[in-house]
Amino acid sequence: MEKSLDLNKDASRSTSSLPPEPVDIIRSKSCYRRVRLNVGGLPHEVLWRTLDRLPRTRLGKLRDCNTHDSLMEVCDDYNLEENEYFFDRHPGAFTSILNFFRTGKLHMMEEMCALSFSQELDYWGIDEIYLESCCQARYHQKKEQMNEELKREADNMKDREGDEFDNTCCAEKRKKLWDLLEKPGSSVAAKILAIISILFIVLSTIALSLNTLPELQETDEFGQSSDNPQLAHVEAVCIAWFTMEYLLRFLSSPSKWKFFKGPLNVIDLLAILPYYVTIFLTESNKSVLQFQNVRRVVQIFRIMRILRILKLARHSTGLQSLGFTLKRSYNELGLLILFLAMGIMIFSSLVFFAEKDEEDTKFKSIPASFWWATITMTTVGYGDIYPKTLLGKIVGGLCCIAGVLVIALPIPIIVNNFSEFYKEQKRQEKALKRREALERAKRNGSIVSMNLKEAFARSAELMDVVVEKSERPHDNHLSPSHWKWTPKGAASETSSNRSFNAHEGSPDKGRDTSSQRINVQKLEEMYNQMAKTQSQPNLNAKDRGSRAGKQRDEIELGAIQDHRPTVLGTREGVGDMKSLSSIDSYISCATDFQENPRFNHSPAMDIGLQETNRFSYSPAIAFSQHGNVKIGQQITGEREPMLTPITKPSYSENARRFFFPGNSSKSIIPKGGCRSDRGSGPSPLSDSSVQSDNSLLSPEVSVYTTASSRTPPKSPESTTLAATVFTFHDSSISKYIDADTDDDEHLRDISEASPSERLLAGSSPKRSININYQKGTNHLETAQKMLGQNCLFPNEGIRRVVHENHVGPEMVRRPKVDRGRQHTLDKGL
Amino acid sequence: MWTVPKPKYRRGSCDEGEIAVNIGGVRVELFGDVLNRYPESRLAVLLNCSTQDHEVISSLCDDFDPGRKEFYFDRDPDAFKCIIDVYYFDEIHIKPGICPICFIKEMEFWKIDQCVLDECCKSYLSEKEEELTEIANKVKVILEDLEVDRFITRTQRCRRFLWRLMEKPGSSLPARVIAIISFLSVLVSALVMCIGTIPELQVKNADDKLVEHPTLEGIDTACMLWFTAEYLLRLASSPNKLHFTLSFMNAIDFLAIMPFYVVLTLTSLGTASMMELANVQQAVQALRIMRIARIFKLARHSSGLQTLTYALKSSLKELGLLLMYMGVGIFVFSALAYTMEQSHPETLFSSIPQSFWWAIITMTTVGYGDIYPKTTLGRCNAAVSFLCGVIAIALPIHPIINNFVVVYNKQRVLETAAKHEVELMELKNGRGVRRKCSN
Repeated sequence: MEKSLDLNKDASRSTSSLPPEPVDIIRSKSCYRRVRLNVGGLPHEVLWRTLDRLPRTRLGKLRDCNTHDSLMEVCDDYNLEENEYFFDRHPGAFTSILNFFRTGKLHMMEEMCALSFSQELDYWGIDEIYLESCCQARYHQKKEQMNEELKREADNMKDREGDEFDNTCCAEKRKKLWDLLEKPGSSVAAKILAIISILFIVLSTIALSLNTLPELQETDEFGQSSDNPQLAHVEAVCIAWFTMEYLLRFLSSPSKWKFFKGPLNVIDLLAILPYYVTIFLTESNKSVLQFQNVRRVVQIFRIMRILRILKLARHSTGLQSLGFTLKRSYNELGLLILFLAMGIMIFSSLVFFAEKDEEDTKFKSIPASFWWATITMTTVGYGDIYPKTLLGKIVGGLCCIAGVLVIALPIPIIVNNFSEFYKEQKRQEKALKRREALERAKRNGSIVSMNLKEAFARSAELMDVVVEKSERPHDNHLSPSHWKWTPKGAASETSSNRSFNAHEGSPDKGRDTSSQRINVQKLEEMYNQMAKTQSQPNLNAKDRGSRAGKQRDEIELGAIQDHRPTVLGTREGVGDMKSLSSIDSYISCATDFQENPRFNHSPAMDIGLQETNRFSYSPAIAFSQHGNVKIGQQITGEREPMLTPITKPSYSENARRFFFPGNSSKSIIPKGGCRSDRGSGPSPLSDSSVQSDNSLLSPEVSVYTTASSRTPPKSPESTTLAATVFTFHDSSISKYIDADTDDDEHLRDISEASPSERLLAGSSPKRSININYQKGTNHLETAQKMLGQNCLFPNEGIRRVVHENHVGPEMVRRPKVDRGRQHTLDKGL
Repeated sequence: MWTVPKPKYRRGSCDEGEIAVNIGGVRVELFGDVLNRYPESRLAVLLNCSTQDHEVISSLCDDFDPGRKEFYFDRDPDAFKCIIDVYYFDEIHIKPGICPICFIKEMEFWKIDQCVLDECCKSYLSEKEEELTEIANKVKVILEDLEVDRFITRTQRCRRFLWRLMEKPGSSLPARVIAIISFLSVLVSALVMCIGTIPELQVKNADDKLVEHPTLEGIDTACMLWFTAEYLLRLASSPNKLHFTLSFMNAIDFLAIMPFYVVLTLTSLGTASMMELANVQQAVQALRIMRIARIFKLARHSSGLQTLTYALKSSLKELGLLLMYMGVGIFVFSALAYTMEQSHPETLFSSIPQSFWWAIITMTTVGYGDIYPKTTLGRCNAAVSFLCGVIAIALPIHPIINNFVVVYNKQRVLETAAKHEVELMELKNGRGVRRKCSN
């Protein structure tokens, strides 16, 4: 394994199979004054001198690296002949970072996300403190905001996940009860309970108010008015309900102390307690004569009953966000009160001095005129006190205007806080609802297609189909390099088109220019996107990430080799047929090879060509073209940019692998077999391969999760078994996009999927494939015929058919990726 | 306009009269006659100098490839793509996303005048520049505070110490304690002033007149002494006496102290030289009102109040507008109300100036109810005046509020920005000391 790893690494050196000597590197560095930096596909040219200005950054270190290994540590790839160093990073941020080297001033691109910018800064080894003041404020504001949001999201996650019921008895029941009482969205019964609770609150407050109407009150033996007996009954019922609710909640709560501390629960308690205290006091003191005092206390507790209206906060997001806003903007509230207090003091003393000599004045002292100032500044104006002298009236007029101003000033800030929080709350609520809906759907085993997701799902399905057609067979095709090359070959072709004009006249171009052309552009787009996503794992675990990728590729190779002897099995045969579709692009990549000085493994290529030619009948090519066209169409139909799943290491390794089977395809078979016999035995049964698919899926997923969250891939899964169902790459990626484009989805998608579900999910696409191509099994002629037919069909029709077939698998497959994501997220938390 | 040839982004050798430049990896070919439109600019100078003179060339560009006749510049290609527009369209627009300050630096490098920048981008730039100057001012203040004592004489050092003690609450613990004491004394004196006017707490003096309670008076005097001491210490330690006395905050301080002493002297004078007692009393009364000024001393301790004053100062125009709207409204509606109410026998509107009060109270929606219209027409007028009042107040208030919010937000940002700037300067002085390791 180690050896092959090394070999692969060497293969990624595009110039030679051996790492260049330090002498070569030094010579290359000394003979150029400039250096080309290729960051995520965007070329930059910069003087070495400029890079030397900051010797301790990543780019500064690049100068000092004289060995192959140290160079590879600093950059992702390099080409000494071209004097080019490749970094697999976001090109947008790099512009500003390079400008920092040039001008010594670090500015930030306006549209950059602060978090990703800070990650980029980390990668390039630049302290964020160098940010210029004009951009620094924005950066920090955004970063703080993001951090806060992330923290809140993490808290929410913890809250949701943190409900542990395992430590005590009847955990199952308690969890159910908890859900019933605390999560009104979880079930219909819970919703009904919530509504009943609201009704009780409203009823009890109405009763409380009616109780004070003199007509409804009754006089007791002391001549004091007391409660209406009917209303007292209502009150008792309501209180009984509240008490029961509180107790049930308390009993079912996972953490008693946390429950007790929760502000909403404190309100609940305060709403219940006064009633019991009142009862206790009246009952215990009935005989005693200090009735008056008790009565006063009872009155106070009666007033406290009004607190129960706050219980509504539990059921209303708006009230909660109001409370939160007040908590968060206490600074501004303090300002408001300060302004008001100052205004009141000033105007009340002014009006006091103006009015105090008036006959029968009500402005007797400054504290007495406080009331007037308050009522005037808030523009309430009862009219119980008003100035009478001219001076007093002038002061009064000024007071009115000042009051309007002073109150209006800090309020927009508070309003802003409120609206921000309210929006956030709404968003979370919606996300939660969707998450729950999805969970329910999963539990029921039915597939719910969500309106919002429809577009995505469809495009993903289409992608699936196309890729399945062209790439699925890679599991078991004899020349594994094919499948990797399908999208990438085309992509590399375009890139070479850019750099090498001579490439224009390659044979495949001549054959079908128009369709291929579109394809190529689209695929290039895909590749660019891919490069972006791939850039992430380098942050922390660059080495680990790439190693995992390499291992995976290695194992893939093995697994693929392993399938070779079973080519005649039903399914595998189909795979072979279908793999023909990739030949076209394979050829294109092959031509690429010949002309691209980076990948000049011509002998291997020739053999590879031979191998493929075994299957490249003309209808097959036609079919492949057809498939390609479909890729193009499908991509155009998609709104979101698409990612192709070619990982960086595999990119360079392909040459190597290509070389591999080509030279000694026979000798490799046993090797591959022993390496991955666990994953997929030679059994042609769809079930076993399904299983392998499942296990194979996880490394993929984990790789992508690394990309998204900077955590190293889950090693057990990624190392045990690899080889990939190519479809999953695509579906997972499209899902990845999916999740990222919509935050809510992102949240919700991180949901659990039981292993059994995963199994099920894994099996479905396979099965559908089988159904699709059953007829075409292991017979070339049949396949030819079918392919021919396919070619005759209008694209639309085929697409629809396949689409229908794949509605299921696509939807079910989703959770799996989520599973992987969840893993890493958990870790992050 | 469109006849001007566009720059080529292609490879290969360039024709006569063309110049190939490589800006940070982006190769552009430019036409000489186009570049000559701005003969001052770096590119035009480069074009016009002979290709043999290597020294001149290397002073103009970073690298030169004689084989391909390509000039290399180690600059930002994105900004250059914007700047090159000046040769074709005579104006430059800053590409959204590029920091304008950074862009201006690039323009300076290419020796292109700032005035070609289009108006739409200029406003954005000036906004940023304003912010930077404000930050720079703050930084200057902070740096002054941080300055090491380089005063030789003892008195100067003492003065400096005192100044920091009194003016910079954040500089040391004693300074903070003094600030808190000062704040509390302001509050206490304001409270004493208010409570002193309550009749129940007043005592009768020899002339059977109500005067303040002696204990309250004692507290007040103590506060006054503290204020005086504070003011004098500040004045003594201030580097610039004139500047100190004229500044707004210190003027308020002075106004808060002054009445106390004036009253003291007047009463002593009144008893000593037989001045008319009534006159003295009146003067004292007038001066007592000025004691309110001490409440404004709070502004020194609250950044929110300072923001308010700053916002009001910067929106004086809108305040004037508000007052004008109100004035016009008051005149119109009081006159209308007066004439309409004339028909009623028991009218409360006795004259137009009398009804001004009504108009103010109605337009600000206070509505005491001491004067109210009684005829139907007058009531209609009242309704209209109320509506107009709401609008007249709401319209000019919005910009004022906006100003306040902007200032309020900026205040907080500036604080951190200035601190950051100081850190940055420190860092650049002791270069590389705190640089982060790349791994």
